[in-house]
Amino acid sequence: MSSKTGSYLRGPEPLRKAEMTIRLSEFEIPPMQDALLVGKKAPIGPEAVRRMVDALSPEQYEIIRVEHQVFEAAVLKRSLLKLLPAEKLLPILLEECERVADEQAVVKAQVNIVIQVNRAVDL
Amino acid sequence: MQTVGEIMTKELVMVKPEDSVAKVAKLMERTKIGGLPVVEGGRLVGIITSRDIRRCHPNRLIADAMTKEVVTVPPTCSLWEAKELLERHGIERLVVVDGDCPVGVVTKSLLYAEIGKHIDALTGLHKAEFIHRKALELLQDGKEIAVIFLDLDNFGAVDKKLGHVVGDEILCRVAKIWGDIVEEGFDYLSRYAGDEFAVVTVKPLEEARELALRMVNAISEEKWPLGVKVSASAGVAGGRRASARQGDFESYTLSDLINMASLASTRAKKQGRQVVVAGEIELREAGCI
Repeated sequence: MSSKTGSYLRGPEPLRKAEMTIRLSEFEIPPMQDALLVGKKAPIGPEAVRRMVDALSPEQYEIIRVEHQVFEAAVLKRSLLKLLPAEKLLPILLEECERVADEQAVVKAQVNIVIQVNRAVDL
Repeated sequence: MQTVGEIMTKELVMVKPEDSVAKVAKLMERTKIGGLPVVEGGRLVGIITSRDIRRCHPNRLIADAMTKEVVTVPPTCSLWEAKELLERHGIERLVVVDGDCPVGVVTKSLLYAEIGKHIDALTGLHKAEFIHRKALELLQDGKEIAVIFLDLDNFGAVDKKLGHVVGDEILCRVAKIWGDIVEEGFDYLSRYAGDEFAVVTVKPLEEARELALRMVNAISEEKWPLGVKVSASAGVAGGRRASARQGDFESYTLSDLINMASLASTRAKKQGRQVVVAGEIELREAGCI
């Protein structure tokens, strides 16, 4: 096949353009919310989480290592623990999160706690 | 006694806790090393092995993948103690430390190869070199020792009559029988050469004599293949360093002790006795030997 024949097979040069879309939003600090559960085979481990939390939100979170079939650590907001102690909160979180996550996951949780108090006083 | 400090790998490849698993995996592949010490500020904080790497996501920090409880030894640890530690913990390598600072690594294969040089391939017993080192170590620790030298009677004739295969089988069985009699931590049995065996014991001379007698009797009482009759003669030598003795201490060396036990076993053989005690001698301080 001659080179002339080859040039017939090639079409016109395509026009190449780049389109750009920018979405701006505020970086959430800290990037996690009230709680973070770290899976045993997650891309980040408890030590990495500790370093991140210490750098971004010093003294605001507590890291608790757990003996669990799916998760190896939990990061809990200290202000939450004032409302509900870890030994009450953590089992509930673990139970709910293991339904939706596996060992590879890092699960972010938003937790709202409402405390109801009814008190009576003598009139 | 040979130490891990003498055989350890001193050119260490180490990693930091903040390194990524992916980076260390590449490093391990390039260097063909299956376990690396993790060091922070010069201190050993963990060890990362290829098994840890396989279990973890490559994005993780080494701090999140490493084994934090590291089995370490000082450079002065003997090869035998190191072997025991490796086997007890089921691990492949020991990090050698000076305080908190890693100074070397000793692997199972390196350790076994080195120890193998001191193990008799036929019987699995230690070779004579081990006995010399062990005896010296005991003397350096200020312990009194006795040496039992055991020689199989007329064993050359067994080899000639029944062949070396049967001869080797008998030697293995003798090693097994005597291995079952000696007491771990007190008596150290070795195949000294050919059909000669030696025991270094920390037991007093009289107990050493009784042990020798039990060992010789055990061989005579055993039922051997093809109806062959196997017997042994033993010589025992030992002594108290504490007792006063005049004369040239230079001649009372460890080698003398082994030599005396050996000559006593020859005397036992000639006299048709089971055990001959060479007599009490004094040993010099180990440092002078």
